Amino acid sequence: MNSKQPKFHKISRTWKLMKKYRFIYLLLIPLLLYFVIFSYLPLFMGIIQSFQKTTLMGTSTWIGFDNYKELFKNKDFINSIINGFIIGTGTLCLSFVLSLILALGLNELSNSKLKSSIQTTTYLPHLFSWTVVGGIWINILSPNGFVNNLLKSLGHQSILFMSESKYAQIIMILTGAWKGIGYTAVLFMASIVAINPNLFEAAQIDSASRWRQIRKIIIPELKPTMATVLILGLMGLFTNFDQVFVMGNPAIIQKIRTPLLFIYENGISRFNIGLATAGAVVILILTMIVTFLVRYLLKGEHLDV
Amino acid sequence: MSKSKNQLSKPIKLLNYLMLMILFLSMIVPMINIISIAFSTNQASMSPGISLIPKAFSIEGFTYIWKKENLWRPLFNSVFVSIFGAFLQTFLSAIAAYILMKKDLPFRRFILAFIMITMMVPGELTLVSIYTLNKSLGFINTYRGLIINGLVSGFSIILLKNYFESIPPSIFEAAQIDYSSEMKLFYKICLPLSKPGIATVGFIAFVSKWNSLMIPVTIITDQDKYTLPLVLKSLVFNSSSVSGTDFVAPNAIMAAIFISTIPLVIAYLIAQKYLVSGMTIGSIKG
Repeated sequence: MNSKQPKFHKISRTWKLMKKYRFIYLLLIPLLLYFVIFSYLPLFMGIIQSFQKTTLMGTSTWIGFDNYKELFKNKDFINSIINGFIIGTGTLCLSFVLSLILALGLNELSNSKLKSSIQTTTYLPHLFSWTVVGGIWINILSPNGFVNNLLKSLGHQSILFMSESKYAQIIMILTGAWKGIGYTAVLFMASIVAINPNLFEAAQIDSASRWRQIRKIIIPELKPTMATVLILGLMGLFTNFDQVFVMGNPAIIQKIRTPLLFIYENGISRFNIGLATAGAVVILILTMIVTFLVRYLLKGEHLDV
Repeated sequence: MSKSKNQLSKPIKLLNYLMLMILFLSMIVPMINIISIAFSTNQASMSPGISLIPKAFSIEGFTYIWKKENLWRPLFNSVFVSIFGAFLQTFLSAIAAYILMKKDLPFRRFILAFIMITMMVPGELTLVSIYTLNKSLGFINTYRGLIINGLVSGFSIILLKNYFESIPPSIFEAAQIDYSSEMKLFYKICLPLSKPGIATVGFIAFVSKWNSLMIPVTIITDQDKYTLPLVLKSLVFNSSSVSGTDFVAPNAIMAAIFISTIPLVIAYLIAQKYLVSGMTIGSIKG
């Protein structure tokens, strides 16, 4: 049989290569094992646990969809999805627009010292943990803090920002953007630098103004990066934990409890493992739907991720 | 073509400066405010008034918080876990990336997909199972737990793989004549030529370990194993709650915050010159 010959060769070639690389496979095994234990196993454990009732003693019984029924009756969970969505999309939109303005604006600066000092300053908050950023803003918004002193000097009454629930979500959005703008701007700036200079030369020959060049060349060329920023943001939509964990207090927690905080409170603090893992499964499915939907809508674009 | 022609018109330019100024000030003013409070006296930090320079300079906030929270311990824990974790993560990712660069490795695509799937699932969501897992592995309240959770990420492997692939193959072919073993090829050619990629991965790993809050808060209850974010979290929470059994003045809290950011800024200054090129190559070809 003529057609079988190449196939046989292919298998024996693969076998030879595998033999040649046997030490390499040996090196890879611990690594792949790591991913099995710390990524895949928790995922499957979570799915199984979401159908079980686990007691403090560690015994678990199969209870079908009871956790899910309880979950959808739980007001905190439904609210956490709404909160996560409002805070997440709010932060994403605000930091998207502001970081684009920052990147485009910095790109027009000719003074490189000024450029790099603005860039470094705006990037720094991204490096800081939420314990730092949260601590900073709790202080600044405190009754004796910077903002209230500013209000007082303008003849305004002081406001208890951190204990009034009507301000809670907007504060999360603003501080989230404050922390994230610099990083997103770096991503945008890196793509602006990578734009083919010929495009600008051609535009200059046509004597297109700089403003026109920004609109007709830079912004269209940034589309893949914009899509990347959006998708990464949407994947993290419901996994906001650190921010609300640090900045939350009993007075405002109802407005800012995110799904992941709900999972933590129920699974770790209250040991209601079934409810927490059921919540995680629902959020996982939700995240996947949102990202696939956006990927589908952005299908025409070349994606970086 | 004269350079001056390729610039924004005056009004737009002015608007641009204004926008940049607003963004810059909104970033820098809070930071200066915090530094100023940290270096104020106890009294001054609590008195009303806008402060951008310390009204009464003092480091009593630092000495107080250092003694009260015994900051040596969490500082050591954070430094140890972050540096060791970042080193291991970079080392392991580099080896994996080098291996996965071999185009003729059988099952390469399968292994790559296996790693990349872990990037599509937000790992944070498995928190509860991660806790159960750590408990059965005996990782609760240990350094092992702090280091091994989040030790390797698909992101750092893929970033380094892309970086290694950007090295011209001809360099490897030429080097194969001088260096016979793969090990030598790896650390004599591949690593030195990938400094920006290595620096980027190391930096990102260090920052994420240093700032990590969710994992420590889940697996650490023993005060001796507290990392800085855990200490800060408890301080910040005390300051925002009204009960205030254990009042800590703002200057002390801000001093603790200030201390915890210093290593980050140092790490950033060290890695800075490599970061942008490291990040771009990683993302362009991803």
